[in-house]
Parts: sequence; structure tokens; C-alpha cells
Amino acid sequence: MPVAGVDIGSLTAKAVILDEGEIIGKSLVMTGHNSRIAGRKALDLALLDAGVEESDLERLIATGYGRLSADFSSENITEITCHARGAHATHPEARTVIDLGGQDSKAIAIDENGRVVDFVMNDKCAAGTGRFLEVMAGALEVELDDLGAISLESESPAPVSSACTVFAESEVVSRVAEGVNKVDIIAGIHQAIASRIYAMAVRIPVNERIIITGGVARNIGVVRALEQRFETDIIIPEMPQHTGALGAALIATERAG
Amino acid sequence: MTDSLSRLMELRDDPFRWARDWKERTGGKAVGFFCCYAPEEIIHAAGALPVRITGENRVTSKSGAHLQSYCCSLARTSLDMALTGDLEFLDGTVFVHTCDTMQRLSDIWRLNAGYAFHGDVVLPVRFEGDAALEYMREELASFRKRVSDNIGPVDDSVLARSIKLYNRNRGLLAELYRLRREDPGIIPSDEALWLVASSALVEKSEHNAMLEEAIAGLKGSSAKPDEKVRLFVAGSVMDQWDFLKMVENVGGTIVDDDFCTGHRYFDAEVPLDGDPIEGIARRLTDRGSCPCKYLPSSDRASCLLDRIGESGARGAIFFQFKFCDPHSFDYPYIKKTLDEEGIPSLHLEIEHDSVSTEQLRTRVEALLETIRGC
Repeated sequence: MPVAGVDIGSLTAKAVILDEGEIIGKSLVMTGHNSRIAGRKALDLALLDAGVEESDLERLIATGYGRLSADFSSENITEITCHARGAHATHPEARTVIDLGGQDSKAIAIDENGRVVDFVMNDKCAAGTGRFLEVMAGALEVELDDLGAISLESESPAPVSSACTVFAESEVVSRVAEGVNKVDIIAGIHQAIASRIYAMAVRIPVNERIIITGGVARNIGVVRALEQRFETDIIIPEMPQHTGALGAALIATERAG
Repeated sequence: MTDSLSRLMELRDDPFRWARDWKERTGGKAVGFFCCYAPEEIIHAAGALPVRITGENRVTSKSGAHLQSYCCSLARTSLDMALTGDLEFLDGTVFVHTCDTMQRLSDIWRLNAGYAFHGDVVLPVRFEGDAALEYMREELASFRKRVSDNIGPVDDSVLARSIKLYNRNRGLLAELYRLRREDPGIIPSDEALWLVASSALVEKSEHNAMLEEAIAGLKGSSAKPDEKVRLFVAGSVMDQWDFLKMVENVGGTIVDDDFCTGHRYFDAEVPLDGDPIEGIARRLTDRGSCPCKYLPSSDRASCLLDRIGESGARGAIFFQFKFCDPHSFDYPYIKKTLDEEGIPSLHLEIEHDSVSTEQLRTRVEALLETIRGC
């Protein structure tokens, strides 16, 4: 019997349909200004993808920033618990989940069963999130999707000292005006992100293996910079943005059974 | 809900209303204080009303000109309230030198807030031993003289009477906490903590009368079966009523606490044998300390662990104001102790000028999910 998990984030909404533990459908949409509508859309698209009707679903759990607005679900679980479960399902060797989303970042210590041991969140500032990368891509006139790969080309990253996205943008513009190589600036930005994430993560026990989830996982530059900081290889799951929705769907399976 | 309980709850919308009314009724003076080490009994014995100031949720405007940005929002918002005239009913304030920030705020306040009376009580840093007791006795005697010279006479028999009233209040609040630990469903967390907070805003004998009636009413109420997850919360000031309501809404209930506006406010009674000043000094030096002070033989982590066990709490929340050094310094070793005992805990950092209950909700819910084994 199919179940669904819907993760309504601040930037994107995702849904995963599971049947007998297999993913039979998924979706990703922009959240926009209305979480409820975005959640609904994500669910509908995933159901279409799976070839399943909402009435066929045995259970449906919502998670994420916008979980309370999901009127199609009476059950909601925090994205912390869902990311832990989703990461564990795809990579049971993971013990630290670093979730870098559109507007917030978190580090979650998990045990061998995918249960949360400890966590730390930063939802006060955008440094290290997708938003930070968007702002930088704009300031440097580079495509967001190219930023990561470009950062790897640098042999001498130009340090970015500002911790804050707004001030960092200002600093980047100054560097460009000074004639500093764009590739080096981009590398510097990625190192700054890694520093911020590392400083946040070490407040909880960080054990191997480390797995990265969320949209920023698609930026190979951030992953490599984090690997340098943590001095270990980091797992990039196949569908990093769907980890939360997958976790929600797995919990739905447990509760249905 | 009894009449007394309703009256006390109404006060939460305008906390200083009672003090203003009292002043009009009696013609007495109101003296503000910030810390639960303040010798309220001495102020009360002088015929004045001690009124606790704990800052408030507001975006500050004037205090930024007088205080560095890296001080806690208790200091920052309290000063702002004084400078914008929100505390004009006060006739004076007493500053207990609890921590560096309060110590410095004392001078800034004295020079800028403009109240007629200003008192300082300098606590010993190290609370144990005969030297600390002797020092405390002298310091309180000194404060008593200052109050006698500026507010009203403080004679021994009146002081002894005030002490009895304060002890009665402490006993009543302890009873409230006992009732709640047995059955958290009798009164929500936010109301229980407001009953403690209101005690520092209302004259003690009047608060005793209302508290007695409120407690009798709670005893008579039918115990509702309570499925909520029992939690222990620790911190300094707890004045975030929306936060407490949110904790209950998401399925938690606070069965005991270590707040200076909670348990530490009424912890321990003043011994009545002997000199009243010595009695007050003994209570301050002997009772469980707050992170701002040092009791060499006391291990705060073990004390908290014991209280968590006794209350049946399954998890703990550390509710800390940003820039509060003493609480932050204590946190790592307390967390380590709880981790070793397998007690899940959560650390929340907030400021009066930027509270976001929604962000706190996710964290609290995640803690509850962990406790429930989700």
C-alpha cells in the first residue's frame, strides 16, 4: 500500500511516494509565497509520477518549514527527524547529516538506526545556504549551477572574511573591482561556506560517515570544501533534495504497518 | 478558574498595573530590582513595594546609546524601558551585582535613568564559608541603613514580619510546584510560571491571599489525564509566555524548572531563629546557587540531574538569553552530564528583541520526537 511524504521547504517543496519500500514517484516544485499550495502541487505531481490516486495512500506525512500549512495531512514530523531517517535509509553507514537548504542549514548526529542523537540549526542567517550562493552568483554574473565546478578550478582561493551574506556580497564586488581572478573569488566563497558549516557542525558529535543533503549538495565545490574541512569523504546521495520527503514517507510506512 | 487566579492572570497583560494601583492606594514607594538575590524583605519592611524588572519583548531605541551590543537583552531592554519612561512609577532601584553586565548597568542606570533612590548590593563571588556569611551580613546591614535613610525605617520586628510573609509565599509556591509535578494537567506551564513571576510584582501579603485561594482551587479541580511529555527547563529569566504555550501545544509540559523567575525565586526559606539580617544572609549564601555565583561544594549539574529525576522529566531544555556568559559557561558541563545519563536535551538561544516562536517550535518538536523514539 502506497504512502507519501511531503517536505515543504522555504524554497522548494518535494514529495516522495513509496510502495513496499520502493520509490514509485517523486516531485520538486518551487514553494513561492504559499506553502499550502506548493505542498499540494508537490503531492499531486508525485502522485501523477507514481500513477497513484491520493485516496490510494495509506498514510501521508508532511515535514519541513511549511508542514503546518499542509491541509492534506493530519500528521507532521520535523525535518530533523525526517532527514535523519531518509539519510539512514539510503546510506546506513551515515552518522552525521549536513542539510544545506535554501534558507537554513543544519547538522544532525544520528545513530545506527537513523535516530536523532543531537542536532544544531542555523535559521538566523543565510551564510552556507542556497540563498547565499544565489546572491553570489548574481554578484559575479555566473550561473548558479556552474559555481561549484568553477570553484574547483582555482589554485589560490581569495579569502572572503565576512560571515554575513550581505557583507560578503559587498566584499566580493570590491574584489572584482580590484581585479582579483573571478575563479579565485568563487573558490574563496566556497571555503567561507565550509568554514561556517564546520563551525556550526562541531557543536554536535561529528562522526563518519558524513552525508550531505539539501539543494546545496548539488554544488560540488561546497562538498569538496567541506571534505577539506572535515578531513573525510562526504557522501552525496542520489537525490539529496528528497531526503526529507523520503524520511517522512518511511515514517509513514512504519506507522501504517 | 478561581477569582484570584483570574485576577493574577489578567495582570500579565499589564504587569506594572498592580504596582501603580498600589502606589495610588497607599502612597507608598516602589523600588525596582532585577535579581532574585535582591533583599526584598528589607524593602518591604520599609513600607515600599519591591517590583521586579525583567526586561520585555521590544525593539530597543534609546539603550543602544548607553550599552554595548554584546550584553544580554535583559539589561538592554530594561534600560530602554527606563529611558523611554515606561518605568516612571518607580521611586528607585536596587542593583544586585549578579554578573558583570548588571554591575555595569548599575552605574549607567544611576547616571541616566533618573530615579531618586539607587542602591547596590555587592554579593560575594564565592558563597561558601564563614567569610561569605559575615560579608553578606555586613553588606545587608549596610543596605538596610541606606533604605532606612532614604525610603523608610526598617526595624527588627517589622523585618521579622516581612520575612514571615516572604517565607509563606515561598512555601505556597513550593506547594504549587509539588502539585504540578504530581499532576501537570492542573494548570498550564505558562500560568504556573506567571504565578511565580506575579509574586515579584504584587505586595507579598496580598499575593499570599490570592495564591492561597488559587491553590485551593487547583486542588479541588478534577485531575485530567495528561499525555504530555514531561520536560525540565533551565535558564535565567522566563518571560516568554508564547513559548511556554507552544511547548504545551506541541505535546510537552514543564514539570519543574531552574529559572531565576521560577524555582530559584522561592527556593529555601529564611531561617527564623536569630537576627533577621543574619537570616536573610544565610538564605542567600546557603541555598542552591545560580550560575552567576560560585559554591565550591555544590555541583550544579548533579543538583539539576537529581531534580530532573525527581520530577519525572524525560528531557531538558536550556533556555538561554544571548550574551548571557554565566549560563553559557555552565552549559557544556551540564550537557555532558545529561548526555552521560542518556537524558535528551535542547539548547535554545533567544533575545528579547527578536523572538521567533516558530523557529523554536521546530527544535522543541524535534526534541519531543527524539524522546518519543520517533
